[in-house]
Amino acid sequence: FILDSFNDLYSSYVIFCILLISVVILVISIFNVEFYAVVPSIPCSRLALIGKIIHPQQVIHSVVHAVMGMLVAWCAAVMTKGKFQFLAVPCTPSESLDNAAPQMCLNEYHLFFLLSGAFMGYSYSLLYLINNMNYLPFPIIQQYKYLRFRRSLPLLVKHSCVESLYFVRNFCVAYYFFGYIPKVWISTTMDLHIDSKLHPLDTLTGLLDLSLFYHAWLCGVFLLITWYIAWLLFKIYATETHHFPVQPTFAEETDQCLPKILNSNPPLVIKFLALQDLMLLSQYSPVRRQEVFSLSQPGGHPHNWTAISRECLSLLSDLTQRLITQQEAAAANGRAKQPAGELKVSPQTPGAVVTEDMSFQSQRSNIVPRASMSSLVKSSLMPLKTLPGSDVGSPFSSPALNCKMGILDVNSPWHGSAQSPHLIRRGPKLWTSGSDLQTDGSQHESFPMLSAARVGSEAVQPSFIYTWLQNKEEQIKNFLSKRVLIMYFFSKHPEASIQAVFSDAQMHIWALEGLSHLVAASFTEDRFGVVQTTLPAILNTLLTLQEVVDRHFKLPHVSSKPPRISGSLADTSYKTLRFALRASLKTALYRITTVFGEHLNAVQVSAEHKKRLQQFLEYKE
Amino acid sequence: AGCTIRAFAWHPHTSKFAVALLDDSIRVYNSNSATIPSLKHRLQRNMAAMAWKPLCASILAVACQSCVLVWHLDPTSLSTRPSSGCAQVLSYPGHSPVTSLAWAPSGELLLSASPVNTAMLVWDVSTENCVQLQWFGGGGVTYLAWSPDGSKVLAATPSAVFRVWEAQMWTCERWPTIKGRCQTGCWSPDGSRLLFTVLGESVIYSLSFSEYRGEMQGQVGGSKTASIVADLSETTFETLYGDERIGGEVHSMVWDPTGERLAVIIRGHADAPGSQTVIAVFRTRNSPVFELLPCGFLRGERGAQPQLIAFHPCFKKGALLTVCWSTGKISHVPFFFVSAHVPCASPSHSPVTVMASASVREQPLFSEL
Repeated sequence: FILDSFNDLYSSYVIFCILLISVVILVISIFNVEFYAVVPSIPCSRLALIGKIIHPQQVIHSVVHAVMGMLVAWCAAVMTKGKFQFLAVPCTPSESLDNAAPQMCLNEYHLFFLLSGAFMGYSYSLLYLINNMNYLPFPIIQQYKYLRFRRSLPLLVKHSCVESLYFVRNFCVAYYFFGYIPKVWISTTMDLHIDSKLHPLDTLTGLLDLSLFYHAWLCGVFLLITWYIAWLLFKIYATETHHFPVQPTFAEETDQCLPKILNSNPPLVIKFLALQDLMLLSQYSPVRRQEVFSLSQPGGHPHNWTAISRECLSLLSDLTQRLITQQEAAAANGRAKQPAGELKVSPQTPGAVVTEDMSFQSQRSNIVPRASMSSLVKSSLMPLKTLPGSDVGSPFSSPALNCKMGILDVNSPWHGSAQSPHLIRRGPKLWTSGSDLQTDGSQHESFPMLSAARVGSEAVQPSFIYTWLQNKEEQIKNFLSKRVLIMYFFSKHPEASIQAVFSDAQMHIWALEGLSHLVAASFTEDRFGVVQTTLPAILNTLLTLQEVVDRHFKLPHVSSKPPRISGSLADTSYKTLRFALRASLKTALYRITTVFGEHLNAVQVSAEHKKRLQQFLEYKE
Repeated sequence: AGCTIRAFAWHPHTSKFAVALLDDSIRVYNSNSATIPSLKHRLQRNMAAMAWKPLCASILAVACQSCVLVWHLDPTSLSTRPSSGCAQVLSYPGHSPVTSLAWAPSGELLLSASPVNTAMLVWDVSTENCVQLQWFGGGGVTYLAWSPDGSKVLAATPSAVFRVWEAQMWTCERWPTIKGRCQTGCWSPDGSRLLFTVLGESVIYSLSFSEYRGEMQGQVGGSKTASIVADLSETTFETLYGDERIGGEVHSMVWDPTGERLAVIIRGHADAPGSQTVIAVFRTRNSPVFELLPCGFLRGERGAQPQLIAFHPCFKKGALLTVCWSTGKISHVPFFFVSAHVPCASPSHSPVTVMASASVREQPLFSEL
């Protein structure tokens, strides 16, 4: 058996197949390199997700992967020999042979194999997109590349086996329904006949062939393992720590030295690697720390330290600004948390209805004043029981229905999707002010007219409202049914929006760690006192950022942890980056206060910050 | 065995400590406040170790039967029963029971280990991500100690081998012992020396490591062999009360953070008459030359055996040794001296006051159960 397989290995078509598979791997790797991102792109709404899927880049990605999948399947089929080998095989001879030459029939197994390869390639590409597998997570501890690879291998193999099973199952279902299309197309274009003696594969009995299933699954496992290994190796090599010299020894290296890279605007991955190197040198390398604290030769200026600290502080102030803008936007709505940062023009609703500048924390009080409105129109809306065209069961329409009935069910018991608190607040407001449409972030301009009209109507005395609303009922019904769909697509998923704000927080985490380690080390290692002059600025930035982050965590949804899915290959650490940022910010502040101790009282900071520093010194924060 | 105190942990920066009791609760005593929060959680069972997070106000990691619980306590709160919502559960399939924990001194990573799992987990607590450090053979980890400078980690296994990992690239060195497993170990404050003892032998070994420089990536830098620095076999002391037989195997060992005092629990042979368990205190110095001189013995009340010992991490006037006795009492023994590292005008030798039980805190600290 072994001798036979060795002989097989040397035959020409096997070598050709191996060459072809290497070409496939090469193409896949090129795609990995082209598509990677250190900052994940998180789709905030369903529309954004759909947009991502039909983006031309993604379409090319999927098509190429499908073709590659088909190639791999073809190689596998050819190498297996047996019944899968050729697309066209002689038909089984029937009893009555009209012509001597046997006809060529379509080998349906081969076709099944090829199509399953294409399907797996396409599903791989889709999952790649959805799971953000182009995101390059940086590891929490540094390890040699071989160890990292060896550590991830068992999980990779297990995951490929399981995933291949799912793919084959899905493909069988797809083939059952749509299998006849390619069959007919190939047999007509290549002038092959469909063998009537054999079972056609797109029937239940045909598909329940265990050997076919096993072969397809095996081919899938092989395909997935090779592609995942290529992806894993790319990840490991790309996130390897790169040593940037702090002080250029040669003139050619000036562009590569750390301060320069941090201050210019390099591609994001270079910046990430530079910050990671800063973090490592600040912790582990006294020699390089000395270089950072050194003065330039003729002038005596601490160029290195100034450049590094300026860049880190500007990164942190950037983040502070971003968070402040978001918080202001959230507070300005007064209602459902809209973390997209768009400032909505809230129509001034006169009367006793809720005021727009109520903070998001007082949502309950939002609903109470509306209750007064609801009782007024309750009687008029009673005859209206059903809304055509809107799905009663979907969570989007039920609040609408509820408020149509005038029932303010704040604690609606529909399933706790992340959207539901969003909707609970939206429910009662749907019919009092049309500004809710704008809170979805939707972009239809036809509704502001309606909302303006409605707003105008509320200014009128209550007696007019009954009749006016009844007239508007038909219009509202139509708009509502359309709006459900639009809301479905445009509504922003709160958890995803929060993750999007913090998606590049890894940079800030490293900047914090690097800066705080350097400041802590400077207590004993800084011979010229270069750090002391920047200490007030550093403390101010850190304390301000800490205040802003603490306030941000009081917003809804921010402090809840997303559920952990263990055992998947895709790294979801970008979902919890905000917690890591908060923890490392606190640790950075404590590091500085622990090392400096009471000496910090001599640093010039504002009185409020002095108070907070005192809290840190007493470990009360 | 027979003691109500399971584990003990001093906070690294303040005068606060946590005591884990037999009834699966943890009490946190603070010298600055009268409230004693009691921590309970349904997963908090069979706690084996506790550790406070360095560079933090009050985050406590607890090694439980099935997971690691990380309590995020509010340092200014006056509540006596923090809710279970403050506890973060870190669990990993196959990683139970967790018996050893160690925080990185720079405060970012938490190491957890179990004697039945041949992998140590390095946790990034805030994102709940973990990395497995696996090895083959030799069983899990029975004792974990991170050097105070953050560069090395000692991991002792149930077999006659222990590993020293370096914490930058996470490579390890294997050290086979001759007779038995490494019972306990402690690091010098600068991470250059490891003192350890082996089960079945009554000696203290010392292993020195080259000083950590950034260029030595991936190397632990341990010396070729370990040397014996103290022989603790049984001897007879003549005291006023008669002959005392002291000596035997080492049960646990702690080194104070200034590197000046070493406390060792020595257990006499169980079948020998008159054997007892005492704490031996040594005066030590690590630079320029390692020195270990016997200082005295600590003994508790009649019938009380010392179970757990720990030094206060930041006692300004010398060293403070906390002893948890088998009777359920906790006593603090101060050693007043001027540390050799602090420059002083006139060198003075420290008078060592060895007391059976003394309390330095404002409130008497007993756990009565």
